[in-house]
Amino acid sequence: MSVGRVVATELKPATPHQFLFWTARDTSIGIGAIVRVEDPADAGRVVFGVVTDAFAYSDLATPLHDVVSADGDPERAGTAPTMRQEIRLWTAAVLRQFPEDPLQPVPLGRVLVATDADVAAALRMDAYLTGATPTGIPVGLYTSGGLEAPVYLDSDFLLGPEAAHLNISGISGLATKTSAVEFLISSIFQHFPAHRGRVAAVCFNVKGPDLCFLDRPGDLQEEDRRRYERLGVRPEPFKRVRYFAPFKPDGVNLNTLRTHPDLVGDVDPLVWGLREALDFAEVLLNKDDIDAKADAFIDFLKDRVVGQPFDDGFGNQHQVETFADLDALFRAILRGVEDSGRGDMWRTHHVATIRKVRNRLSNISTRCKGLVTDDGAVGDLPWGAFEDRGVYVIDVANVDPLGQDLVFARVVSKLRERLEHRNLGVDVVTVFVDELNKYASGDGPETHVKRMLLDISERGRYLGLALFGAEQFRSQVHRRVVGNAGTQVFGRMDADELATPGYQVLSPATKIKLATLPIGELMIRHPHFTQPIFVRFPRPAVMRGRDGVERFPPAEDLPFEDAIVRQLMKLDRRLKPNVLKDLVASREQEDVRRALAAVRRTRPDDVLAFFRAALGNKVAAEVPRERRAVPPLSPISEEPY
Amino acid sequence: MPRMPWLDAALAAGAVPASFVPDASGGRSEAEDPTGADVVEGTGLTTHALDGEPLAPSAVTFVDGIQRWAVVGYDGVVPLVSAYVAAGARRRMDGRLHTVAERSQRVIITAMRSLSATVRDALAGSGEELVDLKDEVPGQPGRTLTAIGVRVERLREAVERTVAEPVAERLPEDEWLVMDGILSNSPVLARHPRALGLIKSHGAQYFTGDDLKRALMLPEGHRTSVFEPHRHGSQAVHSWYVRIWPWEGHDLLYGLLRLEARAHPDSIARAGAISAWLVNERKPLATPDARFDRLLYPIHDVETYLRSRAPQYLVADPGSRLPKTGT
Repeated sequence: MSVGRVVATELKPATPHQFLFWTARDTSIGIGAIVRVEDPADAGRVVFGVVTDAFAYSDLATPLHDVVSADGDPERAGTAPTMRQEIRLWTAAVLRQFPEDPLQPVPLGRVLVATDADVAAALRMDAYLTGATPTGIPVGLYTSGGLEAPVYLDSDFLLGPEAAHLNISGISGLATKTSAVEFLISSIFQHFPAHRGRVAAVCFNVKGPDLCFLDRPGDLQEEDRRRYERLGVRPEPFKRVRYFAPFKPDGVNLNTLRTHPDLVGDVDPLVWGLREALDFAEVLLNKDDIDAKADAFIDFLKDRVVGQPFDDGFGNQHQVETFADLDALFRAILRGVEDSGRGDMWRTHHVATIRKVRNRLSNISTRCKGLVTDDGAVGDLPWGAFEDRGVYVIDVANVDPLGQDLVFARVVSKLRERLEHRNLGVDVVTVFVDELNKYASGDGPETHVKRMLLDISERGRYLGLALFGAEQFRSQVHRRVVGNAGTQVFGRMDADELATPGYQVLSPATKIKLATLPIGELMIRHPHFTQPIFVRFPRPAVMRGRDGVERFPPAEDLPFEDAIVRQLMKLDRRLKPNVLKDLVASREQEDVRRALAAVRRTRPDDVLAFFRAALGNKVAAEVPRERRAVPPLSPISEEPY
Repeated sequence: MPRMPWLDAALAAGAVPASFVPDASGGRSEAEDPTGADVVEGTGLTTHALDGEPLAPSAVTFVDGIQRWAVVGYDGVVPLVSAYVAAGARRRMDGRLHTVAERSQRVIITAMRSLSATVRDALAGSGEELVDLKDEVPGQPGRTLTAIGVRVERLREAVERTVAEPVAERLPEDEWLVMDGILSNSPVLARHPRALGLIKSHGAQYFTGDDLKRALMLPEGHRTSVFEPHRHGSQAVHSWYVRIWPWEGHDLLYGLLRLEARAHPDSIARAGAISAWLVNERKPLATPDARFDRLLYPIHDVETYLRSRAPQYLVADPGSRLPKTGT
């Protein structure tokens, strides 16, 4: 049944891209509604449009006439026996025309509310929902006029290779950005086309406990379950989630909010050593501080020294694996140059440069304590063994900015490198990064993280690396990061943000709708959709961060000995806490940490024996002997001459 | 102008195309001669303040009509006129108006006997409804056009009656019918207990001297005594004047309405309540119509409805006076 009629005047004609129609006052049509226009003269001609603006007015010639007829009394204005004729006039932007050629103005025909099939056709979803290899990913429900039609994104345009990346923006807390991404990743995992291979997600948790409970079921209401069913997505938490977090500066307690005793066992330490840090030295070292000479020396260390036997030219053999080894090398070189008296150069490198690099590199393990260790211990993502439909959460929420830079840079670089060589374990990876206003701001300094994000944005789709970025203010994110996102998602927006030039293409009504969007509703732009579409998505089936910390409150930091015991028992549950405590009692913490790192790196069958061996024997402190005064060989004569 | 087969046939038979919409085609007149009246309420024509409770019908049906006509051809000096009349009834319920009845009529009006044989045959064979000005003799077109105008008005009144009478006959007990114009042309309407005629033009003169002064200088929110006009139409009705807007600063007829109701004591008894009701009906203003001081909004609404459905070629086109170049 028709709900409206297309109207056109000389001043407001129907065009191939826009038209006006009127409806009854009581109508289900609203901003964002999809409508179907039928040509009265040609049954085969159909136009689909989306409502972008709305007007209502009466036949009142001037407001003064209303004042006059009410004798200036607003109360009496409401007592008029007849209500004025009024119109609900809607502006709609054309989504699609059938036939698509020749492209003509919209016919002045009747307007109908779109059906499920109409929505699919209007959004050109039919191109990727049908056929031998459909690539649709449910993203939400188009809801208007009592209709709930699933809306799908094309995975070829969401995750590559045709286009890729998703950017979501909106006010914190109201735009439900994280929830939307959680739902979408879940949907991707369930609907990613088999012919595109294996898919995984790497999520950087950059604030609070947002992504710390993805493996726990969340509270869903009946409405959510119905939407899941309509979308064809199972409401279940992620089955394969692995959490990674650096240690706190104490080197034994994990720097994450997922430290509840029931959950902390699933968190793997993210700890890197010299080699990992040196590969990304440019991230950790101040660019203004490191000149070309220092850069060349660092390259020399990476290429010729680290991880291989090295002769320093002064008769000393080195095997540099850790920061401690590196420092020993530096000491040997500097002493050798000094002792040799042959000038200020060592292998074409000036001593001053060597001192400078030594100073900067030595500081890294101090500045990134908990993430970078002196002793070369490594806890890392399972490069090469990524699981299909696996989620890898890297919690850097409480890591200092330098450490975050290093984590971003290294993880993204490794992902890119592995995907390029097809040896990651999966074929496609989505990388979720929140707070792009911080990490890829449009006007901030050039950081390594920003360069990484730009690199993913511009080249990721060829590799199967898709960036899902989120931020509050889209206008303040680097243009190329936002511009390269094939799919744009908008939650509730700030009015100031909507006033920026990037939103000029939206009608005032659409902006108002965006500024007042309820939780769970989003506006989506996707390459197949010629106009933005509003969809509702169900609450994610995973536990929300703040619910998680309430139900699984983070444990207090453990005393050093208890933390060591927990780490070791995680590797071997048969160990006795008392035995371990006795073992580490009164030992230097640095030695204990080193021994623990060795165990974690080696993963021996007999954890206790290996740990004991790595710890070494306790060396008893020597009490210095008392020195007695030695009498002079010949007493000094008291004679003054 | 849309294609009109009958005109094509007439043109083929020798008629000349024309395009002339008379200025007065949208208007109407109270074409009555001065008659006088008998006051039926009290002993003389007095004014009454409307301080009583207004009538509050649950629903009201408003009836109005429109007329459109245009000269679309000439056969010699005889005009060929295309005319359109329509009437509609819109019922108001909960403040909103909805159409409950409507009727329209298209006719060709001309002086058949003055036409050439070929054009006459073409029109006769067209199948269109023809109105023949039998009494008109060929002469100055102006006289013929005046006669055509009157004929169109009669057609409009007839259509109004065909719409209003069935509505009135099935009008529920607590509902009223308000007709734009006189009731006295229709026996059904003139005798209906809840039908009201609403006259905005005051060409007819019923009083003289002080009574005329009292009637035309009626203050806002007042009515005159009820009177029975003499020789008014074919049916006896009761009538009275009501001022719905103050006239001072405008002219004597500003905001002045004359109402007609059935000639019955009930009409006298309810004249105050009916008048008070109609004063309430002055809001909302029926702008942008220039007659808004007397035109009630619901009547304006019916007229707007009818106009929106009327053929547009019968409305004067600003460019139509340009010389026709034959291209």
